[in-house]
Amino acid sequence: MDKLKLEILTPNGVIYNDYALSVTLPGEEGEFGVLANHAALSTLLEAGVIDIEKEDKSIESILINWGVVNVDEEKVIVLVEGAVAIRGESESAVAKALEDAKKLINSIADSGPAIAAVSAKIESAAKKLI
Amino acid sequence: MANLKDIQRQIKSVTNTQKTTRAMKLVSTAKLRRAEELAKRSRLYAEKMNQVIAEIAGRIKCNKVGGIDNRCFTKIENPKIIDIVFVTADKGLCAGFNIQTIKAVNKLIAGFKEKNVKVRLRGIGKKGIEYFKYNEVELFDEVSNLSSKPDKVRSDEFISSSIEDYKYGKIDGLYIVYNGYKSIIAQELHVNQVLPVATEQFECNEVQNSVIEIEAQDEEHMLDSLVTKYVEYNLYYSLIDSVAAEHSARMQAMDAATNNAKEMVKSLKVEFNKARQAAITTELIEIISGVESMK
Repeated sequence: MDKLKLEILTPNGVIYNDYALSVTLPGEEGEFGVLANHAALSTLLEAGVIDIEKEDKSIESILINWGVVNVDEEKVIVLVEGAVAIRGESESAVAKALEDAKKLINSIADSGPAIAAVSAKIESAAKKLI
Repeated sequence: MANLKDIQRQIKSVTNTQKTTRAMKLVSTAKLRRAEELAKRSRLYAEKMNQVIAEIAGRIKCNKVGGIDNRCFTKIENPKIIDIVFVTADKGLCAGFNIQTIKAVNKLIAGFKEKNVKVRLRGIGKKGIEYFKYNEVELFDEVSNLSSKPDKVRSDEFISSSIEDYKYGKIDGLYIVYNGYKSIIAQELHVNQVLPVATEQFECNEVQNSVIEIEAQDEEHMLDSLVTKYVEYNLYYSLIDSVAAEHSARMQAMDAATNNAKEMVKSLKVEFNKARQAAITTELIEIISGVESMK
């Protein structure tokens, strides 16, 4: 299976820069998945969760509050304003990431109903990890 | 020969100055490290942001994607009014750091004046604002205490009116002028044309000829918010970069001042010793001649 180069950047640094099998992004018009060799595409992202299917088929979830994605044939660049990766070695680390993630969601003032959905999503993502 | 006491006082004062400048250098070094770290982390994001914008702009230029006619990506012939945002420090004592930016702004203004373009000057940082006020150049907008403590919310607020004005056609261009960080001992002046997004440098090559798909529903909205973020981030990054540069400039200036003070103390000490020796010699001569006369 082909893989795609994925870069996720925040103003405070790079949070993901590696190859992935696929990535699911929370676009403004709805969620969409990107596989390798996707046609060029640029769109905005809203608050939500990015699911990355890594090369070893494990899934990593990253919560974002706003972003823009630029897909071309070779790579996917995601620029986000705020992001929390839900990952960790131990249960407590995951719990901490979850807390940070919730803080980020609460800081997004104007996305009303979307918040609940996103909250639920990250909870389930965290549960999978534990 | 100068008075012994006078020289002593002078030495003391120079030593005090030296202490102050050394302390300021140390403070700047510590602050620089932090600012540098922040700038380094943001640089990558800024670069990617520019890259994404450039790519989109390039594709728009080459393909006229879906007939997009966004003002932000169109080169404007004969601009009438433009905004210049300059970033200077709030404090002085950093050698030519501020004056370089001011000179660049003046040059830019002069260039536009020749073309009969009206310039709206928007200042960030006390030093630049003071300069232009003193020279009776009208400032359209000003904000201080932002360049020393970059704050995303405040910088967004500051630039938002320029973005709005641009979108509604009140202004035809936006420039950001600031002195950025190059290395620990060098600063680099940046004059960035932010709006309209420059598209000249793109050649339509094959990669870019592939049609870009922009989520259909609302491409205007997508480009609009992307450009807004792009401009906002550009200003924020300018602020961060400028702080790092300011500290590096101040560190250098204070280092030079400390060294100068050291030199000065050295030469004053020589003078002091000479004066002291002269005083002793005079006293000796007085005593000897006194003894001689009593014989």
